[in-house]
Amino acid sequence: MSNRTLSRRDFLKLASVTILTACGLLGLKGLFRFLNTQTEPLPPTEFELGPASNYPPGSRTVLPDIPALLMHAESGFLAIGLVCTHLGCTVEGKPDGFVCPCHGSRFDPQGNVTRGPASKPLRYLRVEVTSLNDLRIYTN
Amino acid sequence: MRRYFLLVASFSLLLGLLITAWQENRQPKAISLTPTLTGQVEYCLTCHADLAEISTSHPVNTFGCVLCHGGERLSLDANLAHSTMRGGKNPSDFSVVQASCGGDNCHSGTAGNFRNHIQRATTSIQATYAGAIANIRYTFGVQPDLKARMGIFDIREPQSTSGITELAVFNPTQETNLFIQAFGQNCLTCHLSAPPLPKSAYFRFTGCAACHTPTQSPGRMDTEQLQSNQIHKLTISISYTQCDTCHNRGNYNLRTLTFEPRQDLPADRLHDYYQPIGQFTSCEWILDCIDCHTRTEAMGDGNLYSVKKDIQYIQCKTCHGTLTDLPLTITLADPNDLAFRFALLNPVIDIILGDTLLVTEKDEPFWNIRVLPDGTYELFGKADGQRHVFRTVKGSACLQDPARQDSGSCHECHSVER
Repeated sequence: MSNRTLSRRDFLKLASVTILTACGLLGLKGLFRFLNTQTEPLPPTEFELGPASNYPPGSRTVLPDIPALLMHAESGFLAIGLVCTHLGCTVEGKPDGFVCPCHGSRFDPQGNVTRGPASKPLRYLRVEVTSLNDLRIYTN
Repeated sequence: MRRYFLLVASFSLLLGLLITAWQENRQPKAISLTPTLTGQVEYCLTCHADLAEISTSHPVNTFGCVLCHGGERLSLDANLAHSTMRGGKNPSDFSVVQASCGGDNCHSGTAGNFRNHIQRATTSIQATYAGAIANIRYTFGVQPDLKARMGIFDIREPQSTSGITELAVFNPTQETNLFIQAFGQNCLTCHLSAPPLPKSAYFRFTGCAACHTPTQSPGRMDTEQLQSNQIHKLTISISYTQCDTCHNRGNYNLRTLTFEPRQDLPADRLHDYYQPIGQFTSCEWILDCIDCHTRTEAMGDGNLYSVKKDIQYIQCKTCHGTLTDLPLTITLADPNDLAFRFALLNPVIDIILGDTLLVTEKDEPFWNIRVLPDGTYELFGKADGQRHVFRTVKGSACLQDPARQDSGSCHECHSVER
């Protein structure tokens, strides 16, 4: 039988190496996590709406994620941004136009101000029909 | 010895790393919000997602939290996140209100339509307390008349048309009269920058929130809410109970020059008023204070005043007219009329173009009082939404003297039994 007892020196050495290895692994994990930190994405400025055929002529579609109102008029697609030009609340569609629920600004169906406190009309957004006949809206 | 040192050092390092990892894992999963108005990410909702929207005018998706409250928007550590908040839990305290609520599009606004809310509120007599200070200094011979010279804070208002354009800060320790010193120590408790008295019936915030954040509900107080101060609400629908946190809460003792808060909790408006000799018409105890007293009366009109009666002007005839004249009215013809804004913010009445509303002698619309086709008037309570119908003096059997419109004159016939 061989004498395999661990000397104090070897024990200390082994313990130190084990602990340092654990430290190294933890440190690497932290580094990995740091390097993989996801920065907060900027708000999107392009929105894919799918096939243009989903929005038939005469349709008016509220797109809450943008937020915008997409209209398919005779002249083509139009989109009015539903962000109030006063302080940025989302306006609500009404039969006679749009109303801001925050401070009461009103806009006619074309987005022009009919009652303050907003002083600027609602913004028209660029709508693009892609080569695949899909719709895309740009908010910037 | 060197090996022991290496072992202890490596063990300490491991311990440190483990603690750091544990703390990292304890952090909540961040909930981010990018408000439309600022476009800057903030993580406040990570801990505060359960807070109700503060008002329909300040939706969190538009305003976020930091714009009004301050704080470190990207921190997930509570202490760090809260370290730079303005006004603690109350960003409307007058010491920070300009940074929190100001701005041309917000509550600094313009003098037109009285949208300069902060300027008005901070110069109002409820904020300056100038009347009480002038009164006590005059009473004890320190100043020759009742004209206000001092206020709670130093303020200059060159545009003030009241004849008072500045107030020096009132510092009781610099007063030589002992009674005025005592007044300073004991009686500066009911201006808008003073913390409330300790009793829960008096609990309110300071600054704008003293009135616009409801801490008292009629006949009920939510003690748990009061204790946690978690009242996240702004409203223009202000019940009389909120006014009572300063008014109807006790009386001054002129012998001891102290304020003696009442010991009971007034529940019956008519019978529990603190002055037993007070007389009231039904309007004065059925309606809420803001149903009659206008926004410039309560919040000021931007001028500095000496006493409350210099700014209060509503009289019985404002609503009821005189023997010869009906009350003043305005027919809504402009879609931008301010009345529509109020009716939207506090939808107790549905007014439309063409409606005829009561208006005060200073052209402030009573947007909650409409003239009916039969010549009567309907009033919707701004705080409780209750509908009341009333008539005018003209055509009635009233023996009113138009020149005598103080409350005592009308009380001669119309006060209710107490």
